[in-house]
Amino acid sequence: MPDRAEVRELLGTYHRTGDPAVRDRLVEMHLGLAEYLARRFDRRGEPVEDLVQVASLALINAVDRFDPDRGLEFTTFAVPTIVGELKRHFRDKGWALRVPRRLQELHLRLVTTVAELTHELGRSPSIPEIAERAQASPDEVIEAIEAGRAYRSASLDAPAPGDDVTVPAAWRIGETDDRLAGVEERNELAGLLAELPERERAILVLRFYDGLTQSEIAERIGISQMHVSRLLTRTLERLRRRAAEVEQGET
Amino acid sequence: MREEVRLALPATAAHVRLARLTVASIAAGLGFSLDAIEDLRIAVDELCYLVGAGGRDGSITLRFDIDDDVLVITGEGAARAQPMDARRLSEQILAATVDSYELAGTEGRVVCRVVRRREAT
Repeated sequence: MPDRAEVRELLGTYHRTGDPAVRDRLVEMHLGLAEYLARRFDRRGEPVEDLVQVASLALINAVDRFDPDRGLEFTTFAVPTIVGELKRHFRDKGWALRVPRRLQELHLRLVTTVAELTHELGRSPSIPEIAERAQASPDEVIEAIEAGRAYRSASLDAPAPGDDVTVPAAWRIGETDDRLAGVEERNELAGLLAELPERERAILVLRFYDGLTQSEIAERIGISQMHVSRLLTRTLERLRRRAAEVEQGET
Repeated sequence: MREEVRLALPATAAHVRLARLTVASIAAGLGFSLDAIEDLRIAVDELCYLVGAGGRDGSITLRFDIDDDVLVITGEGAARAQPMDARRLSEQILAATVDSYELAGTEGRVVCRVVRRREAT
């Protein structure tokens, strides 16, 4: 932990003189804080190095904008600045590949459209039904569904400041774990499956071993069908990548 | 009415997207539900990798046989043998997403066929 009195003095000096050496010293003293905050957003699909970079830039920004005359502790000001920047990063980086804005918007609109239609019809809707409700063409709907692959669930999963990362009870499905235990024995996939986050593993088992449809899974764990689709896609990609790594002996 | 759509793709991961778009489009035309289309996109993805997509060279071919309410997809390519674990998971995924599937391999040539019927509404 940096010494508070020293920090206060340096901030006063930097505020008066704008000396870059003093700024560097201040940044250096708080890099641990930036890294700590960045790591709280880890495991959300973004490389941690990128997150540390974003947090470090936000820290520099905080040093520049901090006004020592207001009597605040520097960390009181810096923490929300850095967390805000990390969250903005996730929001802006929500789309991993370049997806035209119109498809992004349609994709996000489909989340509600599909949920509404499924509820009204009591079954999974067809593409023409979705297209009509979303005021788009069937081809656009298909492209918007495909665009979901480029959507990083990271931005949806990122915690709000002060949030503890907890797993809602609905994801801890006892029978899922029992089923998986059998699966692991039979398939020797234990290593790969065990690496998955709890919710992703639950969705994988519900879909591929218990035979629930995406709509049924969505209802069961209380997220949208589109999100189930994105999470399944991400999980399968991850398994495929890991399987390839294991094969090449790069465990 | 029988129709056939053929697709030849470079056996790289980047082109699997075209296979997914194609199957979604065909299934949408047949009136499949979104759940069924999501399943088919996953199944075709898996099928493409089983027959060799994700490699660095070569090509894979896909044939979509459309018959009223049945869609049969046959993929072929020069895939390498898969490790047993990965193959079991692939088969589990196919079993859960299509009505039936067949997987056959001979001398560096893998053929995979999946069948999915439109559900009764």
